[in-house]
Amino acid sequence: MKNINASVVRRYVRVAALSPAVLVPMVAAPAFADVPVQWESGEPVSALYALLLLAGIPLLLFAGITLLVYVPSMVRGEKYVPGLAWRNEIEWFGGPRDGVEAVDRNDHDAIESSDSPDTSDEAVAVTGRGGSRARW
Amino acid sequence: MPAGEAFTSSERYDIDRAIRNAETVSRFEFSVFVGASDEETGPFARRLHAALTAPDRSVLVMVDPAARIVEIVTGAEVRRYLDDSEVHLAALTMQSAFAVGDLVGGITRGVLQLADHARRPLMRHAE
Repeated sequence: MKNINASVVRRYVRVAALSPAVLVPMVAAPAFADVPVQWESGEPVSALYALLLLAGIPLLLFAGITLLVYVPSMVRGEKYVPGLAWRNEIEWFGGPRDGVEAVDRNDHDAIESSDSPDTSDEAVAVTGRGGSRARW
Repeated sequence: MPAGEAFTSSERYDIDRAIRNAETVSRFEFSVFVGASDEETGPFARRLHAALTAPDRSVLVMVDPAARIVEIVTGAEVRRYLDDSEVHLAALTMQSAFAVGDLVGGITRGVLQLADHARRPLMRHAE
């Protein structure tokens, strides 16, 4: 019996706590007030103008920011543009003197030292190599 | 579009200088490969690394702009000072530069970051 009373009381308290949130907006009549007389009545705006203003300006900003990001590297004459194909020659800084050919020659030694050229923990443990990768 | 030179001479100079600085700072060898790999980038990068003069003491950075992948391989001895999470941070530095088309900036910053992390502590109480 006592338990039932307690739960009824709790329910009433909960309703009482929530009711201001519902009641206050309902009695907020001034929120529906007319536009003050002093305010100038705005001229009707054409759909084209609104579209230019609301879509054109963001698009312009979008283009401007993109340009700001790419212009520095374009000015420096860099040839790499993300998304375009890369067909330039291989460059190896600090590599063996005969470049990529040294890799092929070195291959059978590498095969002896590690049977499978993979990134598994086992392969790393065998050679002690480390590393990482990232994509963009 | 015919195959051409990947970098201008001043860009090449910048990358060379970054590598030299990195080697001075860390006392390890650095090598940067830029180009397309014929096979999967991971095994290819490890083959490149194995072909270096002293693989155990070397760091290889392989950038494949066509596949949009950067692979970094560190030798066994380097790895004692430069763990894989630090390498990954450098890879992320490069990644964010490459994503906006800054190939040279990404390489130079990444290489210097790797060298900075690989810097060995000074021996203050050598016996």
